[in-house]
Amino acid sequence: MFSRWNWVACGFCLVLNICSPDASSGLVQSCGHIIPESPVLALGSNFTALCILNESCLDFGNIYASQIIWKIKNRLVPKEQYREINRTVSSVTFNDTSSLATPLTCNILADGQIEQNIYGITVTVGLAPEKPKNLSCIVHQVSRFTYVMTCTWNPGRHTFLDTQFRLRYSWPEEIFPDCIPKDVNNSCTITDIQFFVNTEIWVEATNALGKAESDPLVVDPIDIVKPLSPQNVSVSSGILPTVLKLSWENWISDAVMTLKFNIRYRIVGDTNWMEVPSEDTASPRTSFSVQGLRPYTEYAFSIRCMKEDGEGYWSDWSEEKTGITPEDQPSKGPPIWRIIDTSHSPAFWTVHLIWKALKPFEANGVILQYEVTVRDKSSLSCPVKKYNVTSTNHTLQLPEGTYEVTLIARNSVGASPPSVLLIPASNSKAPVKNLRTLPKHDKLWVGWTAPNSYVLKYVIEWCLVSSSSDCIIEWQIALGDVQGIDLKGIKPFKCYLITVYPLYADGQGSGQSVKAYLKQDRPSKGPTVQTKKVGKAEAVLTWNHLTVEEQNGFIRNYTILYKTIDGNETVVTVDPSKTEYTLSSLTSDTLYTVRMMASTDNGSRTGPDFTFTTQKFGKGEIEAIVVPVCLAFLLIVLLGVLFCFNKRDLIKKHIWPIVPDPSKSNIAQWSPQVPAKHNFNSKDQMYPEGSFTDVSVVEIEADDKKSFSEQDLKPFDLLKKEKSTSEGHSSGIGGSSCMSSPRQSVSDSDEGETTQNTSSTVQYSTVVLNGYRDQTPLQVFSRSESTQPLLDSEERSEDHSGGADSTAQRQQYFRQNGGQDETNTDRLCFEGTKQITHADEGDLVGFVQLQISGQSSQPLGFGMEKNTQEAALSSVLQTCTEGQTVRPETVEENLLPVDEMPKSYLPQTVRQGGYMPQ
Amino acid sequence: MAAADSPSAALRRDLCSRGIRLAGKMRADVVDLLDAYVEQQGLDASASVAAVEGLPLAAVERWDEQTGTQRLLENLAAYRAFRALLAQMLEEQREQLGEADAGLGRALAAVLLQVSAFAYHLEELLRLESRGIPGEEEEEEDGPPPPPRLSLFEQKLRGLGVLRELAQWAVRSVRDLRQLAKPSPATGVAPGLAESP
Repeated sequence: MFSRWNWVACGFCLVLNICSPDASSGLVQSCGHIIPESPVLALGSNFTALCILNESCLDFGNIYASQIIWKIKNRLVPKEQYREINRTVSSVTFNDTSSLATPLTCNILADGQIEQNIYGITVTVGLAPEKPKNLSCIVHQVSRFTYVMTCTWNPGRHTFLDTQFRLRYSWPEEIFPDCIPKDVNNSCTITDIQFFVNTEIWVEATNALGKAESDPLVVDPIDIVKPLSPQNVSVSSGILPTVLKLSWENWISDAVMTLKFNIRYRIVGDTNWMEVPSEDTASPRTSFSVQGLRPYTEYAFSIRCMKEDGEGYWSDWSEEKTGITPEDQPSKGPPIWRIIDTSHSPAFWTVHLIWKALKPFEANGVILQYEVTVRDKSSLSCPVKKYNVTSTNHTLQLPEGTYEVTLIARNSVGASPPSVLLIPASNSKAPVKNLRTLPKHDKLWVGWTAPNSYVLKYVIEWCLVSSSSDCIIEWQIALGDVQGIDLKGIKPFKCYLITVYPLYADGQGSGQSVKAYLKQDRPSKGPTVQTKKVGKAEAVLTWNHLTVEEQNGFIRNYTILYKTIDGNETVVTVDPSKTEYTLSSLTSDTLYTVRMMASTDNGSRTGPDFTFTTQKFGKGEIEAIVVPVCLAFLLIVLLGVLFCFNKRDLIKKHIWPIVPDPSKSNIAQWSPQVPAKHNFNSKDQMYPEGSFTDVSVVEIEADDKKSFSEQDLKPFDLLKKEKSTSEGHSSGIGGSSCMSSPRQSVSDSDEGETTQNTSSTVQYSTVVLNGYRDQTPLQVFSRSESTQPLLDSEERSEDHSGGADSTAQRQQYFRQNGGQDETNTDRLCFEGTKQITHADEGDLVGFVQLQISGQSSQPLGFGMEKNTQEAALSSVLQTCTEGQTVRPETVEENLLPVDEMPKSYLPQTVRQGGYMPQ
Repeated sequence: MAAADSPSAALRRDLCSRGIRLAGKMRADVVDLLDAYVEQQGLDASASVAAVEGLPLAAVERWDEQTGTQRLLENLAAYRAFRALLAQMLEEQREQLGEADAGLGRALAAVLLQVSAFAYHLEELLRLESRGIPGEEEEEEDGPPPPPRLSLFEQKLRGLGVLRELAQWAVRSVRDLRQLAKPSPATGVAPGLAESP
């Protein structure tokens, strides 16, 4: 068993050696081979291969055809495709070569299980070349004597094989070398071209599966030439202003072929080409005069050529050459218009003549100058005035009238036809009707309806409306038979004012104007609104119109939007012509926010918010409340005053008790033991422990007020002037306490009134002094019938009073005095008295109340003017506040204690050396 | 008598027309080639050259009395001779200059091709005339013997003579073909034209 396997192994080793890749080299004999060897197969065809085993291997390796298996690459071919032809030959058949791949190997299964390769072949599958189609050739001229022919064709389907294409051409008796394409399979270029001989050209495609030829193309190469374009093209101008002569050189001599040409030209700057009629250039030539050109215009020319008989191809266009035609005289007069300024004087015009420079095709050259001729048609005697102008405007100062202006443009060749403008004294003719505008893309169409009369032409003025600068007028002339033109150069979102004037043969119509936008937008800003007046339920809003630059279109309306803080917004639309609007039905004392929106046809824009607060009260409401209240208050006050006046005595009694003036008491005069002591400095002296037990009232009244003459009052006038302070307070209750010096007062009275008061009667009352605190009164005064004067004043009092006790007079006195006190005497004085009262309330049993009615007091009550009294009051106030020492002195004098009265109290008259009572 | 509209007549007109233009171009090319040749070979353009042996002269007496066939035959003989001479010149040129002056060689080759093409035109016209075309081999056998070995200068001079004569023949051929192209009742009858090459 071991020996048998060993034998088999050795046999395989032998086969392996035999079937090694270099087996065919001859050094090692192969056990078999495949027929056919490396075939090239047509795609889709059937194919049969045979594997033939060598006889020598049959015995040696025990190998037979029945053991053969076929493989494509590593894939086993189904055994159904095998066929054992004999002991050494096995075949395999493929119905479709598309299933084949490389390599196809023949293998055997030794002992039925060990696979060993016998032989392998490479199978190439592809397609035979298709017949090349659409063969065409063109001969390119590459230089003056050099031509190359390039032929192209359609190579057909891909063959999957290496396919060679070759372009072949021949003469009947001459076969030329083939043209083999490089890198491509559909074109080839032949450099050796001979003209005038019909050449047969065809393409041959060859690969392993076959060869195919295109249909032959028989052509004389001269008939498929694309020549080089003419060279050295030049343009020259001649005498005629509409002709330019074009010259060139041809690359091809007439011996080879004659040419025809195409000439094209255009105005420099224009993109549209014009062509010279082909029949004019259908013959061989080297120059051509192009006619019908515009004078003084630069043209660009280009030329191309081809074989004269039309066989072949047009050359490329030559490079452009330019030339300028000569000048000619201007073909038309410049359009002219005028602007008349009558601002200085209506009767004297400033006429601005303006005209447009002629377009190049109208000017036909360089305009050297313009000649302006002005003829006054209203006065035949006026000479014609001529002006030579180099600019396009001219200003004239002319009196009002009708003028004919003629304008001529002149260049180096000649003058233009004249342009005539009639300037009538007034534009009295019919205007155009129904002036309207319509935007058309980037142009603005202006249309109108012609007047009934024949119109020579129309002048259309337009200008950009601006709030910051003047309207710069542009204008254009339209013929009389048109009723609309397109305005160019119109900017969008700008307002233009367009005016159309009809010009008649004998005058001019008035201008009709319209404002227009080429394109509208929403305003660039909204109106700024503010309040002009705010009421309780209404507010007057004002705003300014948007400037024309801000409008960006026609303002169709304004919209006012207002609301409270938490309320809904209310919208009001306002006519665009208004700048004020009154909001009504507002809530009082409420904060409102208002803003305003301006709208055009293309949108809106809102301005800034503005807030305001409505008032709490309406107009007149406050007045209606305040006035009645004031009136009521005044009424109450008046009633109070009346009441007080009626009850004045009662009030007076409660407020100002009658305080007698101790200085005028007779007691001091009648008490000889009382030392003439006037200083009541200490409080103890003022308020001794002793008190009055009884008080008698001494009333001194004047007999008749009328008894005081003016002379009598004069000293008092003087006194008023000099010593108003003393006078003002000498008679009042508080005034006495405020007097700085009773002595001064008395002495003053003495000096002025001594004589006249001698007749006064003094009624003396008995003053009974009770002992103070069980002390015996020092003195008891009783009524005396003595007529001896005690004091001058007292004498005067006696004279006036006559000893009568008149209650009415007393009341009158107090009324007068009280009035003075109420009005003139300061409250301080009253308070001073009050203080004293409080201080000695328990000590004072009573006061000697002294009513003085006489000359000394009367001036105080009647002779002083109100102002004087006020001045006196001021002085008193001054005195009361500053001279604090005065008031106590006076009070002390008035309230002298009884026990010290003899020592301290002494009437001033006595002290001054007057009468001393016994 | 061929009808004017018959295919053969059209073909004849076409051959004549093409031949005329080919002869014209050949003349132009030969003139250019002459200038290049003289300059290249260092010759004097005014140098007189003896007639090349075996080459029929273009100038002929009583040219206007020739028939069309006669014209064609003379032209064919001449251009066959030119073809042989030019081929020899081209070979000599390559031997002398190698690839140093490819331009002159290309120009010579181009003229040679044109001569061949013109000879083809003449043969076609002769066929249309229903005349037999003389065989070249026969001509070669009966024609001038191979030229003796010439010196280099003699070769140059001979080449100059060949090109000059070819230029002359080109002019004559144009006129011959124009004569042939004219519609005539009998192609064999020579038109009475006074012009002579």
